[in-house]
Amino acid sequence: MTAPFLAARGIAKRFGALTALSGVDLDINAGEVLALLGDNGAGKSTFIKILAGAHAQSSGELLVEGAPVSFASPKDAASSGIATIFQELALSENLSIAENVFLGRELKRSVLGIPFLKRGEMRKRVDALLTELDAHISDPEAPVGSLSGGQRQAVAICRALNLNAKLVIMDEPTAALAVAETRKVLSLTRRLAERGCAVVLISHNISDVFEVADRMVVFRRGRKVAERLRADTNPEEIVSLITGAHPDVRALERTN
Amino acid sequence: MMNGVLTRNGREWSLLAACIVAIIVFSVASPYFATSGNAATLLRNSVELLLVGLGMTLLLAMGGIDVSVGIVMGLAAIGVGRALGADLPVGVTALAGPVIGAGLGLVTAAVVVLGRVPAIVGTLGLLGVYRTAIFVLLGGQWLSGLPTGLTDVLAATFLGIPVAAFLIALAYLAVWLALRRTPYGLHLLAIGNSEEKARLSGIPVVRVRFATFIVSGALTGLAATFYVANYRNVEMTIGTTLALDAIAAVVLGGTSILGGKCSLLGTVLGVLLLRILQNGLLLVGVPSLWQPVLTGGLLIGVLMLEVAAGRLSFPQTGWVRK
Ligand SMILES: Nc1ncnc2c1ncn2[C@@H]1O[C@H](COP(=O)(O)OP(=O)(O)OP(=O)(O)O)[C@@H](O)[C@H]1O
Ligand SMILES: [Mg+2]
Repeated sequence: MTAPFLAARGIAKRFGALTALSGVDLDINAGEVLALLGDNGAGKSTFIKILAGAHAQSSGELLVEGAPVSFASPKDAASSGIATIFQELALSENLSIAENVFLGRELKRSVLGIPFLKRGEMRKRVDALLTELDAHISDPEAPVGSLSGGQRQAVAICRALNLNAKLVIMDEPTAALAVAETRKVLSLTRRLAERGCAVVLISHNISDVFEVADRMVVFRRGRKVAERLRADTNPEEIVSLITGAHPDVRALERTN
Repeated sequence: MMNGVLTRNGREWSLLAACIVAIIVFSVASPYFATSGNAATLLRNSVELLLVGLGMTLLLAMGGIDVSVGIVMGLAAIGVGRALGADLPVGVTALAGPVIGAGLGLVTAAVVVLGRVPAIVGTLGLLGVYRTAIFVLLGGQWLSGLPTGLTDVLAATFLGIPVAAFLIALAYLAVWLALRRTPYGLHLLAIGNSEEKARLSGIPVVRVRFATFIVSGALTGLAATFYVANYRNVEMTIGTTLALDAIAAVVLGGTSILGGKCSLLGTVLGVLLLRILQNGLLLVGVPSLWQPVLTGGLLIGVLMLEVAAGRLSFPQTGWVRK
């Protein structure tokens, strides 16, 4: 068995007096869709923000391809091949689609040492990505603030795809989407995994998760309480793990 | 198109119309208004505000602000004045302004960005510190009767156009290119939209904010060079209303006080309108004491109109300016 693309060891995060995460161990493998599940406030977004370099962990260690890493900023995580679609999307509403897709990693050419944007090239690349996603956006020059929730979601996904990342993290990517768009995103997660990318998907929709995930991890009150291969579990069990009704979770919570 | 940067919402047309109406009204009301001498005075009086307004446009677009620009110009003007008085080479004297301004911009950035103090409060604190610094440096006396070395150079004409006008046009062109054609512009507008989202997008937020405060400081310092060249003295009260004038002109020009959108052309027209109104009212006999009332009224009026029209709404909690 090869080393996981990313390994989290004993990750904890405290916000002042509040412990949002504690002792999370998790392996994330290339070519696999891993689902993170858990109630509201379970710590899923906090966990992936640590992987994305948006928060620093309070303790614990991250290893990328076996080597310890420490991310000071989202840019660092991106250079390690980690692309994240945040729950709150993190798009700049006043900028256009192409500007958003390339924001922070623009294509440029240097003239007399000044980095000039290659707008035409960026625009072409974004058009290709939008076509690949089958996203219908009439005016790619419009500010992202004027797009619908689903269209914004597509822009955020384009941004992640454009990184050619080795790990794509999606925090509730289908929450704002209609049925057809949800299907597209789910099949996209599969395609990414088939290309050898590692995918982490956060979702509250159990049937979506069972459709695409190879492995599922359940968070509860900042702890990882269960990890299951899809083949070894069923939706009822996962729901009981999330709600805490499952005997394993009860046993775990009694010992703490 | 990129939303804003050069133009926005047809605001520029309204401003142009307002300028023309004001010119017509004042020409009728005062025989002195429409003279070439007065036009020259008006343009000369706009020079500092055009430069400081350019920096303020960048700061507001980034979600920042600087209320200490007047006093920063004062400090830089003292440097330029002393260099002029010491008969240093013209190039050194002229550069003293932007260099001192950039240095003070660095201090502002350290307080606001590294110290994480909201810009409106941080620059207000610096204003207090610098006010005393000016008093101490000037020893309670004006710098006056300075030599004409700088004046001769900046007022010299090339193809019939003053060198000063070329320099200002060059500054606007450089800023326009930076905003429209380089990643810096996207980063600045993204920070103005939301600093947190900009950070999550991998933008070097600290670096962009530092650079912008330094550039704004340098432009304010360049304004000081022009100020000394124009008036050949530095008085204790230098720049008292400059921050108000600059913020009013820039907001009038359509740059968002909340950040994320700006218009360079709007800033130019905002500056001209403000100066035309001030100059015209003076000529029809309104004492100059009333000028800040006009400027402050315009600033508040424009913001109230935008709020009333639903184009602008201020967050009700937390600090707006960063
Ligand atoms: N920046 C922050 N400062 C303080 N507390 C935070 C911060 N971010 C998250 N928290 C807290 O950490 C806990 C976990 O939040 P998190 O957003 O990770 O939950 P989640 O599992 O993603 O929930 P949801 O399903 O609602 O998105 C919550 O109690 C939340 O209030
Ligand atoms: Mg969440």
